[in-house]
Amino acid sequence: MNLDLILPLLLLLAIAGGLVGSLTGLGGAVIVIPALVILFGVPVPVAIGTGAVTILATSSAAGSAYVRDRLSDLRIGMFLEIATVPGALLGATATVLLVHASLADGLLVALGIVLLLVVPGAVARRHEELPGPVTPDSRSREFGLSGSYQDRVLGREVPYQAESTTPALEVMFGAGVVSGMFGIGAGVFKVLALERYLRLPMKVATATSNFMIGVTAAAGAGVLFAAGFINPLIAAPVAVGTAAGAYGGSRLLPYLRNQTVRLVFIPFIVLLAVEVILRGFGIA
Amino acid sequence: MTEPKAPTLPDTEYRWMSALLRGGLLTSLVLLVGALLAYALIHPDLTLAQAIGANPILRFLELPGLGSGLASGDPAAYLTLGLIVLVATPILRVASGFYYFRHGHERGMEAITLTVLALLLFGLLVLGPVIR
Repeated sequence: MNLDLILPLLLLLAIAGGLVGSLTGLGGAVIVIPALVILFGVPVPVAIGTGAVTILATSSAAGSAYVRDRLSDLRIGMFLEIATVPGALLGATATVLLVHASLADGLLVALGIVLLLVVPGAVARRHEELPGPVTPDSRSREFGLSGSYQDRVLGREVPYQAESTTPALEVMFGAGVVSGMFGIGAGVFKVLALERYLRLPMKVATATSNFMIGVTAAAGAGVLFAAGFINPLIAAPVAVGTAAGAYGGSRLLPYLRNQTVRLVFIPFIVLLAVEVILRGFGIA
Repeated sequence: MTEPKAPTLPDTEYRWMSALLRGGLLTSLVLLVGALLAYALIHPDLTLAQAIGANPILRFLELPGLGSGLASGDPAAYLTLGLIVLVATPILRVASGFYYFRHGHERGMEAITLTVLALLLFGLLVLGPVIR
């Protein structure tokens, strides 16, 4: 198959991935990476590098709107990046070293397992609009990890303050490792830390997670790029298509029932993950 | 209970950062799409296996190589530049945060953003090339 035929196919795959990733809240890379491996036979490291580029594009696209609307908390996002960035550097380095050690199949199995872990996390999200009473720890007070946003649905300014920073930083480090290692956003883990440990309102948690994903991905993508693991002939059409698909998904989402979307697509993502694991074991 | 509001970032910082993300993304997408179309026109018979095997970015990972590639109008060099802009956009955002906190005399946040910035540059300029 020649490049002039492959590029439109990659673009279509990426648009579909971006659309589904946006509708399910899992992010386009979760769909695009296994699909590249399974449907196009793209080697795992190249697929992971492509995933990292995809996250950069979608995070910047959605992030600019969230930041403009002041839904992302820049201060809290930057504070937590002190944990996600070292994690991403570690994860991306591990990926490069595993590939050099001819352990790409093991990486594939691990990727499939992570995908299986991420999916229930997205389904089981609490969706608690506003947190209850919050007791901020000393670090939260010291760094001023608080803010407010204008909630259009509630029709008022909602103040908030971060609660337990230590477990949030620990989870963020883990999210960074996963993101750097597998080229996915790991937004599920980030939102978990922001909602459960920092006790931020759902909208702020979602927008701040998206804002942070870009910097985490830049850390991992920087290593993968400099190590020669990113192929622009694959990454460019996929990044463009995923960004377009994610934009379309964000437009479509208000007209669809969240639960229905998840019920339709999540079994499909689980199948992709299982297929990836089987391939890793040389079974598929 | 929620504490009294801490100093928040001004609207200008949010607007600047939003514009930075949008501008970086648009610039990189224009570079990537344009260079990709040019590359496909020049290499219409390239197969997927060949495209994967001969990763064009490998020629431009060093700055002099990239510079000469851009000067000669090589689409692969512009593809690489598009990727660099995409990776650099969030890094610039961190640099912008550092600048803001430095001017606001917030030593703690200044130290955090500077550390994050140093780590990002370390990954791109040192760690990646070393383990390549």
